[in-house]
Amino acid sequence: MSEFAAYTVIGLSLGAIFALAALGIVLIYRATGVLNFAHGAMGMFSTFVAWQVFYRWEPSWLPGWALTAIAVLVGLAFAVVLGLVLELAVFQWVRTRPPITKAVITIGVLLALQSAASLIWKNNQYHLPIYIAPQTWTFQVAGVPIGANSIVIVMVAIGLAFGLAAYLKFTRMGRAMRAVSDDPVSAALWAVPVGKVGAVSWMLGSFIAAVAGILITPFINFDTTSLTLIIIDALAAALIGGLVSLPLTVLGGFVLGLLETYPSIWIQSLGFSRLIALLVIVGVLIFRAPRGMPVASR
Amino acid sequence: MSHLTRLLVAVAAFLVLAWIPAGLDVGLKFDAALSLVWGFGILSLVLLTGYVGQVSLCQATFAGVGAYAAGMIVNTFHAGYVVGIVVGVVAAFALGLLVGLPALRLRGITLAIVTLGIALVFDKYVFQDHLFDWFTGGSAGWRVDGADLLGLRADSSSHLLAAYEVLLALFILTSLLMVNLHQSGAGRRFRAIRDSELAASTMGVSLTRYKLLAFGLSAAIAGLGGSFYPLVAGSVSPQPFWVFTSLQLAAIAVLMGVRYVPAAALGGFFLAFVPDILTRNGHGTFLGRYSYDISYDWFSLALGVLLIVQLILLPDGVWGDIHTRAAKMWSGLRHRTERQVSLA
Repeated sequence: MSEFAAYTVIGLSLGAIFALAALGIVLIYRATGVLNFAHGAMGMFSTFVAWQVFYRWEPSWLPGWALTAIAVLVGLAFAVVLGLVLELAVFQWVRTRPPITKAVITIGVLLALQSAASLIWKNNQYHLPIYIAPQTWTFQVAGVPIGANSIVIVMVAIGLAFGLAAYLKFTRMGRAMRAVSDDPVSAALWAVPVGKVGAVSWMLGSFIAAVAGILITPFINFDTTSLTLIIIDALAAALIGGLVSLPLTVLGGFVLGLLETYPSIWIQSLGFSRLIALLVIVGVLIFRAPRGMPVASR
Repeated sequence: MSHLTRLLVAVAAFLVLAWIPAGLDVGLKFDAALSLVWGFGILSLVLLTGYVGQVSLCQATFAGVGAYAAGMIVNTFHAGYVVGIVVGVVAAFALGLLVGLPALRLRGITLAIVTLGIALVFDKYVFQDHLFDWFTGGSAGWRVDGADLLGLRADSSSHLLAAYEVLLALFILTSLLMVNLHQSGAGRRFRAIRDSELAASTMGVSLTRYKLLAFGLSAAIAGLGGSFYPLVAGSVSPQPFWVFTSLQLAAIAVLMGVRYVPAAALGGFFLAFVPDILTRNGHGTFLGRYSYDISYDWFSLALGVLLIVQLILLPDGVWGDIHTRAAKMWSGLRHRTERQVSLA
């Protein structure tokens, strides 16, 4: 029983990561119509920027918590700049293209970021994770040890989901984003700054990807490819939310995290979770075609 | 082009291309054979994406299934390599039909997500898990020391050229068949599906039959190339068929022009030769001070950037763009000479 509870904790932490990553995908898809296959790669790159500060800088006069804070801030700042650069250099030029063309462009972004990262930080090499809370901080809940990092990540995921939902609902920019996602042409006619909405969406999406990337490092084999490939789990969670609903996306992330974790009680296989993600994707797509998906083949 | 001209061009292409790698070293001969293995992978995308409009991000998976099936047949059952190739193609075809099943309900982006998921499942699970050791030969993979291709001795070292020539003949034959398919009744139905699935099914085209057929045929083409991989490389491992190769194949196909058969040859050449030549010669010092060392990642980085630039500037791909411009220039030229003739 305690084994089951322990796996539940792992599954929920993993699910929170998926949820976080999926939130960024949904945000960018809703506001710009780009299904971002490079989302994992963007988070990966920003995470490695933070990692670079965290492990390579090593100033002796700075307390540990301050170094962590600076590293995370640098990583997040980089993510925002990365999002802005992508919008300005790439995605503002293809706004009127079919969705599939935009998706293929994000594959180009994925390949470029992935290979750039493996040039700088070397591929398939073990990297020490970034701990937000010290690894030794654990709590006992009903006999099950829960790491502080797990608690942080679950709370950040839920908090960001509600924060984003509120942002989209109540702020001026949030309203503009929803208007653009409904109909970019009409939104432009009503003087909604479509370009600015695109830039803000990419910056915000990239920021969320970096948050997910930095928080996930203690839980996975932290190298350039595995963070890039988390995209498939994130897409599965996003599809559960129909690529629209933020609360459902977070719920989908948690469900997927648990579904991927429980079989490892019986099955010792690293790749088995991929099969579950695929089955969830196929199941969701066959039985519940998401709203807003392109109907025409091109 | 008439049938006869096309045939003559194909024969001429074979005669020219067959002996070019003869004078090259083993590494470049390997590249030549590898360029055809991946050329088949891109050709399979020309059929699936260019003709039928279906997106796929798992073509390297089909090639990998062909490769592992061929390796398994040769090693476990001690059958001839030709049998291995046939089984590899059939296995890839079967997997293609299986992947085509969800594709009946999906299109565009959703299909891209599903096929990416399939590529990941095979990369991380099927090709690497001990459960499938009977198929993948375990972590050591299958070794193939040489083969008898209908009387022709081929292996990965001294008889590499023979494997290349058989691959080349098959590649040119498949390309010819693809061009013919484009103009046949089935090809018209494929294109109708690409332009509008709704309109095609209204006109009586069976979406089930033709979409499944497209996925099966495409996977079989990729599997045909892949089934030669163990022979050309001497062994199989998961690395060449991992998810990033699938992404690269899709990227190169789009970059070169996914609607055109010659783009497959161009793309295969690009994917096999460019990184090897770059990594071989790409180190030294620049201006006598800055030392540089070009690794494979530089190629992948350039590919990603080129794909982005191409999709913004030349949506029809490199070959497509050259093709249209050449046609325009040609008609302009003819127009001018006609005018000159009429003036005279």
